[in-house]
Amino acid sequence: MTLAMRNIYKSFGSNEVVKGLNLEVAEGEFLVLLGPSGCGKTTALRMIAGLEAVTSGDILIGGEDVTGVLPKYRNVAMVFQSYALYPHMTVAENIGYPLKVSKVPRDEMSEAVRETARKVHLEDLLDRFPRQLSGGQRQRVALARAMVRRPRLFLMDEPLSNLDAKLRGYMRSELKHLQAELGVTTVYVTHDQIEAMTLADRVAVMEAGIVQQLDTPRRIYDDPANLFVAGFVGSPPMNFITGAITGGAFECGGAGLPCPGLADNPRAVVGVRPEDIRVTGAGEGWLQGAIYSLELTGDETIVNVAAAGTHLISRMDKDFDMPMGAEVGVEILGERSYFFDAESGERLRTASHSGQPIAFSDGSR
Amino acid sequence: MNGKRNGSLRRLLEPKDVNSMSPAGKMVTYGLLAFWAAVVLFPLYWVLITSLKLPIHVNDGPLYIPFIDFMPSLHAWEYIFFELGNDTLRPYLNSIVIAFFSTVLAVGIGSMAAYALVRFQYRPRFASVIAFLLILAVVVWMTIAVDLHWSLSVAIGLALFFLFLNTLGKRFQTRVGNDDILFWIISQRILPPVVAVLPIYVMFQQMRLLDTHIALIVTYMTVNLPIVVWLMRDFFASIPMDLEESAQIDGASRFQILLGIIMPLAKPGLAATSLFVLILSWNEYLLALFLSTADAQTMPLLVAAQNATRGPQWWYMSVLIVIMIVPVIVMAGILQRFIARGLLIGAVKG
Repeated sequence: MTLAMRNIYKSFGSNEVVKGLNLEVAEGEFLVLLGPSGCGKTTALRMIAGLEAVTSGDILIGGEDVTGVLPKYRNVAMVFQSYALYPHMTVAENIGYPLKVSKVPRDEMSEAVRETARKVHLEDLLDRFPRQLSGGQRQRVALARAMVRRPRLFLMDEPLSNLDAKLRGYMRSELKHLQAELGVTTVYVTHDQIEAMTLADRVAVMEAGIVQQLDTPRRIYDDPANLFVAGFVGSPPMNFITGAITGGAFECGGAGLPCPGLADNPRAVVGVRPEDIRVTGAGEGWLQGAIYSLELTGDETIVNVAAAGTHLISRMDKDFDMPMGAEVGVEILGERSYFFDAESGERLRTASHSGQPIAFSDGSR
Repeated sequence: MNGKRNGSLRRLLEPKDVNSMSPAGKMVTYGLLAFWAAVVLFPLYWVLITSLKLPIHVNDGPLYIPFIDFMPSLHAWEYIFFELGNDTLRPYLNSIVIAFFSTVLAVGIGSMAAYALVRFQYRPRFASVIAFLLILAVVVWMTIAVDLHWSLSVAIGLALFFLFLNTLGKRFQTRVGNDDILFWIISQRILPPVVAVLPIYVMFQQMRLLDTHIALIVTYMTVNLPIVVWLMRDFFASIPMDLEESAQIDGASRFQILLGIIMPLAKPGLAATSLFVLILSWNEYLLALFLSTADAQTMPLLVAAQNATRGPQWWYMSVLIVIMIVPVIVMAGILQRFIARGLLIGAVKG
């Protein structure tokens, strides 16, 4: 089913947490709402579920206006961050609960429960109680309970955040596989940008109740709309250097970085991803600095260089070998640098640079 | 977390495994436990042997051990069960019926109120509450003093109240919330029942319900309601909201959620509260003294009656007390199975 949110506002008292949310989610699409805590993403999800009333705006599921409809009539399924399993019911009863309350015949129900349990590898645990399960198993019960009745939408509120790192990685691919297999439109809320990048067809990056950018993961990463998106997505995060643009060059501490076509701006920020910064020998490159720390992660070395009054993170080859404190130069692959206005945080673009229009593009994938 | 801060205090308070104690520690521990067990159990023992004593044994001063200090006799038991016969059985059944029904009603109604106080926000205007009470008083006055038919005065009262709500009532901004309502409910219990016992007596007298089960059931239920609301509120508050929201999304109605999710999880609370309220009703004396004379007389009155014209008849009292304890022990045994901890484990978090 498709989902549409039109001009949604939500206030708690005088505190406005969602400010004019517009979303169109296509049939079968996996949309991730990404943002830091308190950005309004969970409130948005709860409004889709009907657990929270909208202050103004419309919500449509499959073209049908459900703005004022009770949760039980919306036929959506939700996986809670806490899983919210019914502790007095067995795994089978938990999974079958949505069918039980909608009066599905007993044999049909147990068949559906068994089949869903098989999909999430729970078939041997059907008689257990939630307290007898591990975190990952509980998570799968919550998932199975959402899947058992073919809902119009899957809503997921940070479903993986209570799992340990290894299990999280496993469940992530499991989730992606199941969603693709079932083809159910999914809205997924997370503050973890890796989850967002890996799972989503499209990501909506939210901050302060406003969608900052809505796009495919690749374009969110390669073409961020503003300073917030650029800094939030990516790990290690993008490097920012503050300076000024004068005469087609970005100046900071004497060094210049060409940015042809950009208007003069006394307070500008350049952003460079760690993989686009190369550490070179002293005297070479754009900036001069010293190695502050080195972290070998196995497949690469994260080099922290103190330069231009800040710390620049570079992602270097795993064979990178220089002592800490060594004088180095920093080279920037100029093609891959992003310029922002320091005041508004907006991306600074030239006619040639902007390429395609960014952000708030809806619907079409 | 705070273990580090008060390390020494915690070491003192944290129970050690008794098997890992030194022999001296073990002896002290068991000695203290035995002493406390004796303090708790001795009155029961004393009541039991007193019920087997002849009046002469009681009057001779303390005699502790049957068959050695005195010869046990069943004379008191014979008196209570055969000579009194129906006069024992009737109060016994009365007590059981009254305690049972008042407990069921109080816990039923009280837990619904408690649930509502936890899950819904009430924000009535303070002025509306006052207006309601004033108009209620006027309605009662019109019915009794002015001799208006009750349906007419209720209709007038309702009309007045809604008129107030829609006009003058909107000018007042002060509102009361759930906490105020809860405090008001609990405050009903701060007042000792003895203050209200005369009005209650007159009320049931007017309704010609004195000395009936209904009078005592209704009164006990009302007196115990605040306690139920207060205790159950905490139990309901401990059930995560996520469970109810999840059930809503799963398609359950409010009623299905209450019966299928909330009640099973509140079982320990319901059992504990029921037991507590049951014991209160079972032992209640003052209200029973006013509201019952013969037909609805309860056990506490019968026990007290043994201290009548001939002075305290300790042996008869002891028999009555022994048989009074039995149903409470049985109920405690039944309800204890439900008072299990950790029922919510596995509901939320990993």
